Amino acid sequence: MLLEVKDIHVHYGKIEALKGISVEVNEGEIVTLIGANGAGKTTTLKTISGLRGLTSGSIVFDGKDISRMPGHKRVVAGLGQAPEGRGVFPGMTVHDNLLMGAYTRSGDFSAELAEAYELFPRLAERRNQAAGTMSGGEQQMLAIGRALMAKPKVLLLDEPSMGLAPLMVQQIFSIIEEINRRGTTVLLVEQNAQQALKLAHRAYVLETGKVVKSAPAADLLNDPDVQAAYLGGGLGHDAPEEPAVSREPAVSEEPAVSGERSDAPEA
Amino acid sequence: MNKKTSSAGFRHQLGHFGDVVHDRWLRAPGWQRWIVYLLLIVCALLLPSESIGSFMSPDTDWATILFFPIGTYVVLAIGLNVVVGQAGLLDLGFVAFYAVGGYAMALLGTRMGWDFWVILVVGIGICALSGITLGAPTLRLRGDYLAIVTLGFGEIIRITARNTDSIGGPTGISGIPHPPNLSEDFELFGVKVFKYGVLDPRPYYYLLVALAVIVIILVKRWEKSRVGRAWAAIREDEDAAEVMGVPTFRFKMLAFAIGASIGGAMGVLWAAKSVSLNPNDFQFLLSATILAAVVMGGSGNLPGVMLGAFVVAWLPERFRELKDYRMLIFGAVLVALMIFRPEGLLPSRQRKAEFKEGSGGMGTLGAEVPGPESHGEEVASR
Repeated sequence: MLLEVKDIHVHYGKIEALKGISVEVNEGEIVTLIGANGAGKTTTLKTISGLRGLTSGSIVFDGKDISRMPGHKRVVAGLGQAPEGRGVFPGMTVHDNLLMGAYTRSGDFSAELAEAYELFPRLAERRNQAAGTMSGGEQQMLAIGRALMAKPKVLLLDEPSMGLAPLMVQQIFSIIEEINRRGTTVLLVEQNAQQALKLAHRAYVLETGKVVKSAPAADLLNDPDVQAAYLGGGLGHDAPEEPAVSREPAVSEEPAVSGERSDAPEA
Repeated sequence: MNKKTSSAGFRHQLGHFGDVVHDRWLRAPGWQRWIVYLLLIVCALLLPSESIGSFMSPDTDWATILFFPIGTYVVLAIGLNVVVGQAGLLDLGFVAFYAVGGYAMALLGTRMGWDFWVILVVGIGICALSGITLGAPTLRLRGDYLAIVTLGFGEIIRITARNTDSIGGPTGISGIPHPPNLSEDFELFGVKVFKYGVLDPRPYYYLLVALAVIVIILVKRWEKSRVGRAWAAIREDEDAAEVMGVPTFRFKMLAFAIGASIGGAMGVLWAAKSVSLNPNDFQFLLSATILAAVVMGGSGNLPGVMLGAFVVAWLPERFRELKDYRMLIFGAVLVALMIFRPEGLLPSRQRKAEFKEGSGGMGTLGAEVPGPESHGEEVASR
């Protein structure tokens, strides 16, 4: 097992955000964490990458306990992260952003640079443009490309589809698949459950700081509960917690679809 | 309406002209740059001339105000620029390090009888240490929270000095020795350049220029190095910098220590000239003014910051005949600058891009700022 998160608890002040989450990632896999807003997906990822401290539990990576290791050393150990949203350096050019990704490395990394530009031809076109002036999709590509520059063993992706047009989401997801095929293990946090489950090998469903389900992704894709709660396609399965009132066409609009709420970007 | 578009067009053209000059400068070979640098240093040395003094400051002695406030502000702004402009840490108590430097000179000079040059070195060390002392507990905070803690630190230093009788209390320390003369008779254009007396401010000004040149060379070197890139990354997105493998906490401490050392060096030099000092020389207003100079000049860009410091120091002196109204006008000028050039007089390109994006305008101040308690258990920075 490459990465093992064992029963971690994380607090924001007095509020317990993660109430004992355990996640396992094997080498070569794509594992996804799905769940609604505030379920603790991003917190889990930030705890793994070291941006947030944990109260109890442990994180074992590559056979070593890294629970207390500072974030910048975890990069050297082999954890690469593309942060949530616009996690690029807006004032630096695309090229400089990619070079920042190789900050911990010395020697020749022209091969990785070439690979990043090959995976994302769009970045090669814009190599001298300031990253902050690019579109959301391009920034997401840059964030992923930059994380790959450190040659991570596990790539942590935080909502790569957030705020992107459907076509761009397709593109990003196929590139993630390609990255995995080339040998990088991927841990993917997503609100776009449908896409994430199609892509991943295994999945964990998070709800208010706990893992409520874990199974092969294909099984979850057909799981009626998951369909009703996250896939929005639960035609025939009325979501039980949905009050009937909200379905009444009080305003002359399209009737509300229960899954639509989870599309809002996480705060 | 028409007028508005024409003025916008003019500003656009001006910006374009700036870009052309900037590109030309970037492409210029090294020897051409060195010639320009040397010319600038020569200009700086020729500045305290009476011929421009009568225009630049009709009411006060030009050479005196060139040392303080103008030169002093310029060096302090360069120091604060490392902290605010490069690492993006909002420091509202920068005057504290200037005070520590000043008091180091005053105490070690009067009590121990040490030499100015020795105190300069020791003072820089003490200030770097005080920068680290302040940084170690506070640099876990971000944005506004850090600003408030540094503001408190600046006040604590001043109030402690005022209430500690053994270092002079509110009356301060007098009889601070001048630097030893390097040469009694050496003359250049009628100025005894290396004779540090009471009357002639020009030798001190030349010493300040020398200090500024050294500081600029060092800061520029850092900016171009791995350290500078780490600072830029921290300024633009601290979390992203950490997950790129940048030891953010360590580099923030380094920025604090370097900024403090520069402020401290200036404090030592200033105290060595001014014979006496007291706690009221280190008011919060000075921190705010230096910060205004950095932001107004174009935070992160060295020439811009120096220009900003010059303007901030010189304008109130130039218009001394307006008496108390000059501060009113000064305020109006600052407001006008922030309206028409919010990114500063001479911003760097990188900062402009950050500014447009909306995150890097003022370090982490403009960005999302988590509460202090949520960072208590952060391991990233340990």
